[in-house]
Amino acid sequence: MQISARHLENTTIFDVTGDIDLANSPAVRKAFLSEIREKKIPRVIVNLLAVKYIDSSGIASLVEGLKASRDLKARFILFGLSKSAREVLQLSRLLKLFEIYENEEQALSAESV
Amino acid sequence: MPRRQLLLRLQLLSNPLVLCGVRGVVSPLAGAMGFGEEDCHKITLALDEAITNVIRHAYGGKLEGPIEIQFHKLNGADTAKPGLEITLIDRGAKARPDSLKGLPPGELRSGGLGLHFMRQSMDAVVHTRVGSTNRLRMVKFIH
Repeated sequence: MQISARHLENTTIFDVTGDIDLANSPAVRKAFLSEIREKKIPRVIVNLLAVKYIDSSGIASLVEGLKASRDLKARFILFGLSKSAREVLQLSRLLKLFEIYENEEQALSAESV
Repeated sequence: MPRRQLLLRLQLLSNPLVLCGVRGVVSPLAGAMGFGEEDCHKITLALDEAITNVIRHAYGGKLEGPIEIQFHKLNGADTAKPGLEITLIDRGAKARPDSLKGLPPGELRSGGLGLHFMRQSMDAVVHTRVGSTNRLRMVKFIH
């Protein structure tokens, strides 16, 4: 798994590549929380286009990011969910709690909900 | 034909790095047995979650605890359906009864989903304690 960040004005986009599981979800969580809590970035967008597999520890990292964002009135946005990642989020019954878009353009242009 | 046939036995250590290797084994195995793509993903997710639970809870994050995984083919003799039985055996701490209840999904909480995923993905999930070992038996039938 690899995670890298692109910084735009008031926005950080994380590009995640590979599977997210117990071996690497702590690194994903740490990256999210650093941007949200320490750098106070008002909008964090997570690109999951290249994530083909995610388990409960990966979902937990996304939940941590969402909770931290809500605490600071920031936005935490996902885009590019694979079929299997969407199925796992559906199974967790958390799908509707996230702001999710098909692609980066939509994620960047979406108004706050 | 025997009702239950051992296909594969894996010996692992409780290191999260083994997860990707196990996923790489179980999905093609399930596919070769006749499971469809969606069920292959469910079986893979259930096994991933089961190993994750052993690493986190039975061994408390210790990296060198032994885990054995047995894959049995259920041949559907008599009235039973054909399917895959996966048994995980570890020598970690006994599971607390409340940890086996699972937590309700749908809440914005970062833990407790693993057991829910296992139960949603498989047709049977049974935990037992045998001597000093935890045994988890999971079954998925070919529908």
